[in-house]
Amino acid sequence: MMLELHATPEEVMRAVETLQEFAQARGLPEKTVFGLALALEECGSNVVNHALQRDPHKKFQVVIESTDDTFAIELRDRGPEFDPTAAAERKSQADDDDRPGGWGLQLVRRQMDEIRYRREAGENILRLTKRLVPAAGVE
Amino acid sequence: MPLEILTLKTIGDNAGAVTVKLTGSLDTATAPELERQLAPVLADPIKDLVFDLAQLKFISSAGLRVFSATRKTLKERGGQTAFIHMQPQIQEVFEIMKSLPGVAVFKDVAELDRYLAARQRSHTENQ
Repeated sequence: MMLELHATPEEVMRAVETLQEFAQARGLPEKTVFGLALALEECGSNVVNHALQRDPHKKFQVVIESTDDTFAIELRDRGPEFDPTAAAERKSQADDDDRPGGWGLQLVRRQMDEIRYRREAGENILRLTKRLVPAAGVE
Repeated sequence: MPLEILTLKTIGDNAGAVTVKLTGSLDTATAPELERQLAPVLADPIKDLVFDLAQLKFISSAGLRVFSATRKTLKERGGQTAFIHMQPQIQEVFEIMKSLPGVAVFKDVAELDRYLAARQRSHTENQ
């Protein structure tokens, strides 16, 4: 599934709600749906707030894919080159109590098994993957 | 999912503590509204603010940042921010800031009331 979104917080949440419906329809447990929604919220907000500077005329894409044993979320934007995984490393070294800046990516890391960034043909592409555990009793 | 914000000035015997009940989703789209509604609450000289999260279904770092800013404001005046009725998934997101100074988490009203009563006594003694 591919969503074309404007760079606003409301559009991030529209994508999150679409993901929740998609994941629920696929029968994923509530806890997993919450984690996937959180990961998309955090990364989508990053794109909107940083890469696209909340310019509602700019657009970004979210691709949601699922196989039997994985769930993937891909975010694509044409903002300046920005690797959130590298930025978070730098930030956490100088972290303290009152600087919640690095919380977003910490939350994403807890929820997803793999976070890959690449820059390709003028696009930032961030791909988040979660391995799905088959429900007990199935098979 | 929208966010509903309900601010209650007094709970039980613990006048002076403000409770803010949140229903729905505290996220990148709704966190600014909570920030706006908290501003006048924090402008009063209150020392204890309680967030009741019984009906909060979703939270992200945008929400945590509002909680963190509130915590900082109250901590600077010797106050404390408390959280009650946290659902398991919210609690997991919360782990990140649970250990910060000036944050207290309670499972129910009874536990919170005991804590607030003790806080009220210590405020009175200090005056």
